Amino acid sequence: MTVPTRRTVRYGMSIDIDKCNGCGACMLACAVENNIPPVPEAANDRKGITWIRVYKVNNHRAYPARRTVFVPVLCQQCGHDAPCAHVCPQQAVDVDPATGIVGQMPERCLGCRYCMVACPYHARYFNWWDPKWPPGMEKTLNPDVAPRMRGVVEKCSFCHGRRHAAQQKAAAAGRREIDGDDYVPACVEACPTGALRFGDLNDASTEVAQDAQRPESFRLLEKLGTEPKIHYRSRRDWVREIANAPRPDGKEGPRG
Amino acid sequence: MTATRRNLLKFAGGGAAGALLTPAPWRLITDTALWSENWPGIPRPARGEIRERFTHCTLCPAGCAVRARCVSGQPVSLAGVKPHPLSNGGLCPWGIAGHHLPYHPARLRKGQAQEAMAAAARAIAEGASGEYAAVLDLRPGRTASWTHRRAMAALGNGLYLVPRQPAYSIDLAAARTVVSFGAPLFDGWGTPGNVFGARAHFRLIQIEPVETRTAALADMWLPIRPGTEAAIAAAIAGDLSVADAARLTGIEEEAIGAVWEAAQIGSTVVLAPEPGSPLMSLNERLGALGHTVVARREAPVPDAWKAAAPATEVVAAPDGAIRLLLIDESLPGGYVPWSVIEPKLAANATVIVFSSTAAGYARHAQYTLPAPVYPEAAEDIGPAIDTVAAVFRIAAPLGAPAVPVVNPAEFVAQIAGLPRGDALRERADSIHKTGRGRLLSYRDRMSTLTRELTAEDFWRTLNQGGCWLEEGGQKMAPPGLGAPPAGPAPHGDLPLAVVIVESNRGGLASPLMSKLERESSLRMAANRVVLSPADAQSGGIEDGGRCVLETACGGMDAWATIDPGVPAGVVEVAGGPRMADLCGSSFRARVVRA
Repeated sequence: MTVPTRRTVRYGMSIDIDKCNGCGACMLACAVENNIPPVPEAANDRKGITWIRVYKVNNHRAYPARRTVFVPVLCQQCGHDAPCAHVCPQQAVDVDPATGIVGQMPERCLGCRYCMVACPYHARYFNWWDPKWPPGMEKTLNPDVAPRMRGVVEKCSFCHGRRHAAQQKAAAAGRREIDGDDYVPACVEACPTGALRFGDLNDASTEVAQDAQRPESFRLLEKLGTEPKIHYRSRRDWVREIANAPRPDGKEGPRG
Repeated sequence: MTATRRNLLKFAGGGAAGALLTPAPWRLITDTALWSENWPGIPRPARGEIRERFTHCTLCPAGCAVRARCVSGQPVSLAGVKPHPLSNGGLCPWGIAGHHLPYHPARLRKGQAQEAMAAAARAIAEGASGEYAAVLDLRPGRTASWTHRRAMAALGNGLYLVPRQPAYSIDLAAARTVVSFGAPLFDGWGTPGNVFGARAHFRLIQIEPVETRTAALADMWLPIRPGTEAAIAAAIAGDLSVADAARLTGIEEEAIGAVWEAAQIGSTVVLAPEPGSPLMSLNERLGALGHTVVARREAPVPDAWKAAAPATEVVAAPDGAIRLLLIDESLPGGYVPWSVIEPKLAANATVIVFSSTAAGYARHAQYTLPAPVYPEAAEDIGPAIDTVAAVFRIAAPLGAPAVPVVNPAEFVAQIAGLPRGDALRERADSIHKTGRGRLLSYRDRMSTLTRELTAEDFWRTLNQGGCWLEEGGQKMAPPGLGAPPAGPAPHGDLPLAVVIVESNRGGLASPLMSKLERESSLRMAANRVVLSPADAQSGGIEDGGRCVLETACGGMDAWATIDPGVPAGVVEVAGGPRMADLCGSSFRARVVRA
């Protein structure tokens, strides 16, 4: 008798930079879904918490040759060599072998911020303040996600609350695998331009897997060997070049 | 081993050092962290029955369909409705966090409604001959707008005032080429889902001096000199040679020639940022009227309402003649600068504003009454600029108002002595009576012909977030689009053209919008200006330094950013009511060091 084994999925995202208009709907949807509070008035862009952040990037040319694109950057969900997982002294970061999602457990986090230093994508955020919402607004919190305390690091989890809900739905229906339509992160659902897609990179029939194979597809800082699962694409050469962030002095080591 | 003090200390020290090698301290840290997660300072999300409800967003005229996830009746997240033919599942960032608005710290929570009512009655009673009572409706086309109009007709000397409104709709689905003179097509112009749904089928040529969000995604961006749009328009119309247009605008002849060619292919539409812009007259020359530019359609209204007061643009109102002005600012909409309104007021005029915030027109009013905010009021939404069909949809409330509020339409109706009634229901019944169109129900994803529904079912479905649509029919050409554009206006001693690069709807926005502004700098803050290095140098302004933006109507303190991507002679700013008040009709400014 053969026991059916669960298929290993590798969740990933594809982002069409040529479609993104920088509206920020993904950032708002993420903050609403994951109970990320607004920061106090004194905060700036270095102390804000944005699990997905849309950067305005230009080609560094003067007018009228200036061209701008919007690049959504979230946790790149690195492979088994995820730098943040390596350095965490508390084992608060792990890479789920069943899904490929890099998980963050704030309950274990010491707040040492080694992971923030190690992350080459600046996709991790430290809670400088207790989570605080304007009076009454705490009623609008998502019951599927616990707010994090001051002093811990947090980051994108591909909306783990939605994944658990999809797992429960699948289990209730007697299935072991999640239906793709039941599990879509909030940012992907919110994107009005259709620039963001989500799915299983191991399944060649998914749009996201096909996007990853396109010639104009690239990953951020690919030379570091972190094997990110966020695949960007753009038809513009200068955008693809910026993604590799060549060192200004031209000295490229074996790991970049 | 003898029990000496030294040995005791050695034992304690060794034990403490050894304990570090056991799991105990780490366990202690974890337990402490777990405890700290549950300390009283951290709010706990409410739990309860989770249900989906449907409504429509009223934060702009797009009126996107909304699916709300509610816990014990309280909305905790909003998302678009995928199968909707108009909004196509799209929501903008304002709409996504709209359920936070009732709890906004800056929300207006009280007002003197009785005193305002008495003052309004006094102003009407004491009004001299030739003086008017007026309602300024920032969001015309709603059922509440019809109530305002009926009330003004009932008063006899009432005026129903509106900002400049387009009399046309744009059929993006029929367009193959879109020539946009700075219209923010991808940043708040129409219905986001509809615009992006049609995007694959048209070629976008964006003509404006700076690279906005729309220009960044256009197929072709023509970075013209500020104020030279008319020259390009004349070249497209064939009234100006390409060589002359190139000389005036600073654009290469080849590029202008390419625009001319693209515009002649057919199925072209020309867009301008303002509804009354003379640039829209180019559509007539290109044969777009009745094809891609069509007459705006409105859902039917009861026959009894048709004797209502006509809509009058604010600029057309008589000067110094408005004794009582009621401003319905309950929903963000077209903003009329105060410098345009003020001359219309009589010397002893009473101004009453309905608003959810003390900003905006409240600064100029004797009475400001708290208005309901989305999503706590039952409202309908007029057609958007890119809605070709006649449409009627209700923003079904997702909760009771969090503070005592005054309904503007009810207040105005009471002043005019209109009989109390449910205007939304009356209009729904009149639509149902026509038997035309179909009703979409998001809950069960059904589309049912109106004539197959009872009036009760029709009304119930509308209140569950349904949408009535009447598509098809003959496309009508809109009324005349005005005169062709003239040349650039003289700018006196204000050397910089003010270019708005960020849409801002005004009114309240979720506190989470800080993610897009302070926390990421994705959107430009209202108190920031961006200049070219040359203009900054001539004004003695430093990057990141304080400066003052001076216009013909006043000044504003701001932070300066110097960017070589900005052309000389231009200052980039974020839009909104404050900037509209500051610029008035002339978008010229000077930036000086603070």
